[in-house]
Amino acid sequence: MNIVVLVKQVPDTSDPETEVIIDSTGRGIDESKLSFVINDADNYAVEEAVRLKEKHGGEITLVCLGRESANQVIRMALAKGADSAIRLDDEKFSYSDPITTAKILKTALDGLDYDLVLTGCMASDDGYTAIGVALAKMLGLPHAAMVKSVEVIGDNKMKIGRELEGGLMEMNEVDMPCLLTIQTGINEPRYASFKGIREASRKEIKVMDLAATGLSEEEVGEAGSKAVMAQYSVPEVGELAEILEGDASETSAKLAEILKEKGLV
Amino acid sequence: MYVETQKLEQKMTPEEVSFVEKYDLLGCIQCGKCTGGCPVTTRSDLNIRRFVYDCLQDHLEELSKKPEIWDCTTCNTCAIRCPKGLDPFEVLLGLRSFEVEEGNVQPTVRDALESIFNNGNPWGKPRAKRCDWMQDIEGVEKVKIANPGEKVDVLVHICCTACYDPRIIPLAKNLVRVLEKAGVDYGFIGEAESDCGSEVRRLGEEGLFEMLVEDNTELFGSYDFDRLVCISPHCYNTFKNEYSDLITKPVMHYSQLVAELIEDKKLVPSGELEGKVVYHDPCYLGKKNNVFDEPRYILGQIPGLELLEFRRSRERSLCCEGGGGKMWVESESKQERLAEVRMSDAKQMGANIVAVACPFCLLTLEDAMKVKGFEEEMRVADILELLGEIL
Amino acid sequence: MHDIFVLAEHRQGELREVTLEMMTLAGQLAEQSGGKVTAVLLGSGVDEFAQKCAQYADRVLYVDDPIFENFNAMAYVPALAQLIEEQKPHLVLIAHTTQGVDVAPALAVELDAPFTTEIIEMSLEGEKPAATRQYYGGKINGRIEFKDSDVYLVTVREAAVPAGEATKSGEVQKVENPLKGEAGGRRFLEYVEAAVGEVDITQSEKLVSVGRGIKEEKNVPLMEELAKVLGADLSGSRAAVDAGWLPTDRQVGISGKTVKPKLYLAVGISGAFQHVTGIKGADVVVAINKDPNAPIFQYADYGIVDDLFKVVPALTEKLKEVK
Ligand SMILES: Cc1cc2nc3c(=O)[nH]c(=O)nc-3n(C[C@H](O)[C@H](O)[C@H](O)COP(=O)(O)OP(=O)(O)OC[C@H]3O[C@@H](n4cnc5c(N)ncnc54)[C@H](O)[C@@H]3O)c2cc1C
Ligand code: SF4
Ligand code: SF4
Repeated sequence: MNIVVLVKQVPDTSDPETEVIIDSTGRGIDESKLSFVINDADNYAVEEAVRLKEKHGGEITLVCLGRESANQVIRMALAKGADSAIRLDDEKFSYSDPITTAKILKTALDGLDYDLVLTGCMASDDGYTAIGVALAKMLGLPHAAMVKSVEVIGDNKMKIGRELEGGLMEMNEVDMPCLLTIQTGINEPRYASFKGIREASRKEIKVMDLAATGLSEEEVGEAGSKAVMAQYSVPEVGELAEILEGDASETSAKLAEILKEKGLV
Repeated sequence: MYVETQKLEQKMTPEEVSFVEKYDLLGCIQCGKCTGGCPVTTRSDLNIRRFVYDCLQDHLEELSKKPEIWDCTTCNTCAIRCPKGLDPFEVLLGLRSFEVEEGNVQPTVRDALESIFNNGNPWGKPRAKRCDWMQDIEGVEKVKIANPGEKVDVLVHICCTACYDPRIIPLAKNLVRVLEKAGVDYGFIGEAESDCGSEVRRLGEEGLFEMLVEDNTELFGSYDFDRLVCISPHCYNTFKNEYSDLITKPVMHYSQLVAELIEDKKLVPSGELEGKVVYHDPCYLGKKNNVFDEPRYILGQIPGLELLEFRRSRERSLCCEGGGGKMWVESESKQERLAEVRMSDAKQMGANIVAVACPFCLLTLEDAMKVKGFEEEMRVADILELLGEIL
Repeated sequence: MHDIFVLAEHRQGELREVTLEMMTLAGQLAEQSGGKVTAVLLGSGVDEFAQKCAQYADRVLYVDDPIFENFNAMAYVPALAQLIEEQKPHLVLIAHTTQGVDVAPALAVELDAPFTTEIIEMSLEGEKPAATRQYYGGKINGRIEFKDSDVYLVTVREAAVPAGEATKSGEVQKVENPLKGEAGGRRFLEYVEAAVGEVDITQSEKLVSVGRGIKEEKNVPLMEELAKVLGADLSGSRAAVDAGWLPTDRQVGISGKTVKPKLYLAVGISGAFQHVTGIKGADVVVAINKDPNAPIFQYADYGIVDDLFKVVPALTEKLKEVK
């Protein structure tokens, strides 16, 4: 079973103390103080692919849209068990919206032979939660989003569980080849040791620029996108906890209201 | 020799033979002195003598699957007791590395290691926040950051825990106050500073440890200093003993520097503290590096303190279970933690203060104090905190 | 005409609350643009939901067909695409839910429409929508600019607007199922509830987390009751686990589990560094602690400084009321 996994490198902004500072263009962020990691959900997608490979054989190809520094993330996934990688990299790809990003990614998949495409369900930097499903449509594959359990049943069929709100699982049967967007928590990703990553550096990473994709300049980046992020702004949020005042019945009433408002009751 | 070499080589892979040689396992006479002294046997199935033996008999990969290899706190007791001069527990670190190479580590360990690789600290904290602790230090306007190439007497390495854990940050702050007060020519490293690798090595991640050694050696090489001073005994031990002499300048623990400053009358403990204090020897300062006297000397110089001694002290000191990567590996055992045993001992002696000289000891012992419900009668404090109270 | 489509969402015999929220938002937008709100309901024998939608919409397009008994994106996408192409709405709103994210991106590709996701604010400037969404886990916002189009598609964050009053009485139009044949390549099988007893706190959507402050094991049921009304699982600090009040796998922190719930309610937890490193993925953190200086308040979004034994029972009651 050959698997393609989409991986993305993102700045690690998970720590509540990590500040994201908007740069002078208003459309980018100051990256100098950030560290870069594999997108969380993609990490689970890689692990799921490696487990499927261990069980059913086949090869894993990684596809990544990103700068050279993203090789770090690719190598980590190679160390865990992926076999080869393609990185799409061109200045012109910047500011692509998710649909256009999917269009660019598709060009890397076009020449590949696969039974399954896995992506993380969401990227932690832009949060679009869109690329996998859009790509499936472009490839003409059946898809399922937010997948939290995967099992191959018989020839060319999978039984998958989509995790819904409240932890309910929606079980589906999907014909292969198909595309699944993988939810965090589907497995426990393994550790890639430093030595393993260094050994993986020997595997070649194929790079595709705009010309290699066969797309034109007008089809990618801002020009090729219909819904672009035009301007970042700093949201208004209080730094410290809002302390609710009053006696126990007042504070608990206030808290109950807040939780209700936030859809948490 | 307990096991015949020839027989061994027949049934072992070359990898296993080199493992045996690396840890000098054939030197073992199976006397059991190691296990006899191992403190964690009260809460774990770990039998270190048995492991040394089994490494000669069984396949290492199988042995590495045993969960007990993660129970060792690397307290060094077995090494001190071994009549043949072995470091028996190092075998367990070797076995841990098999698991690391396979990616089979607990998620908490994985996250700590990945964070060290990405951020230079195990806590998942951004490097950009490494120096945030330098704000608001009583009587200090600005913490001095050393510039590469510019001469300082003392270059200070701050333990990752002291940079980020609000409970430990006061240690760093008080060290700055001490250095300023004593007029020491010092400098901190700043954001470029990274994890020392002590816990990385103990968690069996040899490759990452080598990377840190390389990076840190290069980093220290860019500074002009006479000695490197560490807050944590774990960093101190690693820089001093595990960087293969790559750091050419003396490495010191802060207690050694402070003792010197007091002796030279550069630092005069003036204020008074009241009560009975008992000093808990951190394994990496005491058992591992024979620094026993300096911390006691400092405490003795603080007016008003009455110094007690644990029955198990110095070389026989009881481990608090903070080291050896145990920060990220919870013991399954429901038996009393060693830190709790320690605190009960302290209470029985009537101590009001348990003094430590290590961030990990501070965390584990203070936690144990709360578990025991001793907060009313006693407290746990690092020597730097006690000094801070009387400066 | 500026018609705004809202995709109604239902599951296991319930119209989901988010549908009312979205129709409310659509109503606000329609007022700005002078347009109409159309709810699109794909279901099987769900006339009751059609009636409910009609109270919030000017019109309900209702496709009643067994194929829509249970959700299946592979059926939804082509059916919606056809309805949209026929009816030519100006804007399509889909909830950013596990259903929405399974449908919307593919629909956008099919329609070749400007598309963005999980917007938190939206307005219509003349013909054109303008939207705000969050980036970097909510650390910054971004404004989305759409290129000119006949139809725009967005997914909307749940609870972006509260559901308003039912003020309309739209007409329910039953329309023929535009989908011919089967859903391509995917079949719904069944729903499976998370097995009881098997709680994995790293996956919990809500957590009530207890610490040494709850004092004794006999107070655990009080916390369980609070957790129950919230639909939350119970977790705790190492202190609570060490005391034997909770099993080991419920420990949050550096030597326990890293959790990422939408709600983390810390009760009687001081907020030690070793504990809070485990909750950095939590969305909303609420702390109840009697000590105003407890470090947990530095990590919390909302705090109550009071005796937990007073607050917890009161809160449990209040939550039952607002539910
Ligand atoms: C190696 C190591 C690993 C560790 N790993 C973890 C870990 O993974 N997870 C973890 O949680 N901890 C861990 N710890 C322990 C950690 O340092 C803290 O000791 C622990 O989290 C404290 O738990 P707590 O907040 O429940 O208790 P406490 O710190 O004792 O806090 C109890 C709180 O309850 C409040 N309170 C008391 N009574 C009331 C009342 N009636 N009403 C309202 N509030 C009240 C108090 O004000 C106080 O703030 C670790 C420690 C070490 C040394
Ligand atoms: S180092 Fe300490 S804990 Fe580890 S085996 Fe030796 S005596 Fe036991
Ligand atoms: S103390 Fe040394 S010689 Fe004795 S059993 Fe242990 S390792 Fe072997």
